[in-house]
Amino acid sequence: MSHPEDLLADYVGGTLDERERAAVDAHLPGCARCSAEVRQAEAARAALSELEDVPVPFGVTGPVLAEAGRRFERRRGVAWGRFQWAAGLAAAAAFVVVVAVNIGGEDSQNAAAPERTTAVAGGTGAAGAEAAAPGVIPFAGLERQTDVNYDEAGIRAVATEAAGAVVAAEEAPGTQAALASTVQDSKERTSLARECVDQSGVRGPNDVLIRLIEARFDGTPAFIGVYSEGPGAGQTPDHIVVFVIAKDDCRILSTASQRIPSG
Amino acid sequence: MPDPPARDEDLVRRYLSGDRAAFAALVERHERRVYNLALRMTGREEDARDATQDAFLTVLRKLSSFRGEAAFTTWLHRVTVNACYDLLRKRRRAPLLERGEDDLPALEPPPAPDHADASSLSMDVQQALLQVPEDFRAVMILHDVHDLRQEEVAAIVGVPIGTVKSRLHRGRIALARAMGIEQQGRFSEDPKGPPAPGGSPGGAPGASRSGERADAPGPSEGTVSP
Repeated sequence: MSHPEDLLADYVGGTLDERERAAVDAHLPGCARCSAEVRQAEAARAALSELEDVPVPFGVTGPVLAEAGRRFERRRGVAWGRFQWAAGLAAAAAFVVVVAVNIGGEDSQNAAAPERTTAVAGGTGAAGAEAAAPGVIPFAGLERQTDVNYDEAGIRAVATEAAGAVVAAEEAPGTQAALASTVQDSKERTSLARECVDQSGVRGPNDVLIRLIEARFDGTPAFIGVYSEGPGAGQTPDHIVVFVIAKDDCRILSTASQRIPSG
Repeated sequence: MPDPPARDEDLVRRYLSGDRAAFAALVERHERRVYNLALRMTGREEDARDATQDAFLTVLRKLSSFRGEAAFTTWLHRVTVNACYDLLRKRRRAPLLERGEDDLPALEPPPAPDHADASSLSMDVQQALLQVPEDFRAVMILHDVHDLRQEEVAAIVGVPIGTVKSRLHRGRIALARAMGIEQQGRFSEDPKGPPAPGGSPGGAPGASRSGERADAPGPSEGTVSP
């Protein structure tokens, strides 16, 4: 009998019929190769059967359900205008608080933020429209750096790097400075991440997202949103603001800001 | 087995016709299965999280085009396996320098011991699993860990049932070798020395993978779901 290879998986799984099983049983004692394979496969199957399910960690499907809710609301055509207006004000208010706590008084122009809120509240697609303006870095999508663990110094370095890129983009508008690394992600994950960052209430009315990184911050899975911020109305940005948002629940973990040197 | 309160396909219909809670019910019903499949495929909690989210987002995005031609669970499993493949591919592509030092041991699993002794049997099964080529790993996890029937595994992975049987057998052998279980005959010792039917843990299965891919449709979302 030639080696009954196509029967061995079911032999080990115990699902052969009597006749086939008898055939394999008759073959094995005279065949070192098949009996060795059976022994290995049985050991592997036993080991696999001992792998037990683990509970799903908290918050894994939260962002998915949030996205489902958003899609649902969009489909239903709920009066989104009002929601966005309210959310925009809340975001602006939270932004001022964040700035006051974390950045101090150096950004006095932010105090006027709520007055400029309604025009841009809820807008997420600014990069395309403003890509041609000087000093604007086009947003390229979510960068996955899930194996990188940032600390405070790392976040400051991200801000400094972005400020340098904006200066480069101002000086040579035709050649956009490339900030994003090559590892990009799907549109779905990008919009999820953006919404998490937006939802955290950190985005100011004149902030333009130029970079979004999925990484860790002090060990916590996080999104890092890098914004250029300016007086708006097409004027060149004068600050970089970096927000670190927990991936789990979109809470703020850290911030950094960097003044963009004026040319 | 008793029927669940509502069939998955009914929940899909209910969500599409305006029942917001129906999708949450689907997620709640299947998240444990999806997460654990992803955890076994990727070997890392964080990747399992991401793959789980990616899978359910894909399901959400494509739900309106789900026509019930395949069972919902078959489709969900396929989407999950594909999400894992994507994630593993991205992880391989990520430059080594961007990785945190503390992650390096997990990224580079220890080589399989080349001798059989009792202590090597205690090697983490999960670590050994990561050394088995992905296509074989998926079939083994679906069948031997999640107890799905071979017919269902074939539908999920998109290969003929004979291919499932062969991947199952070769995958188990690769896993055993990765765990350090050498091929000593149960009934007799081969004086000529044992042939190496599966080659090294990654070798033969990996080599046969491309051959199978050529004439069998690989697992792609598009073939099950429009």
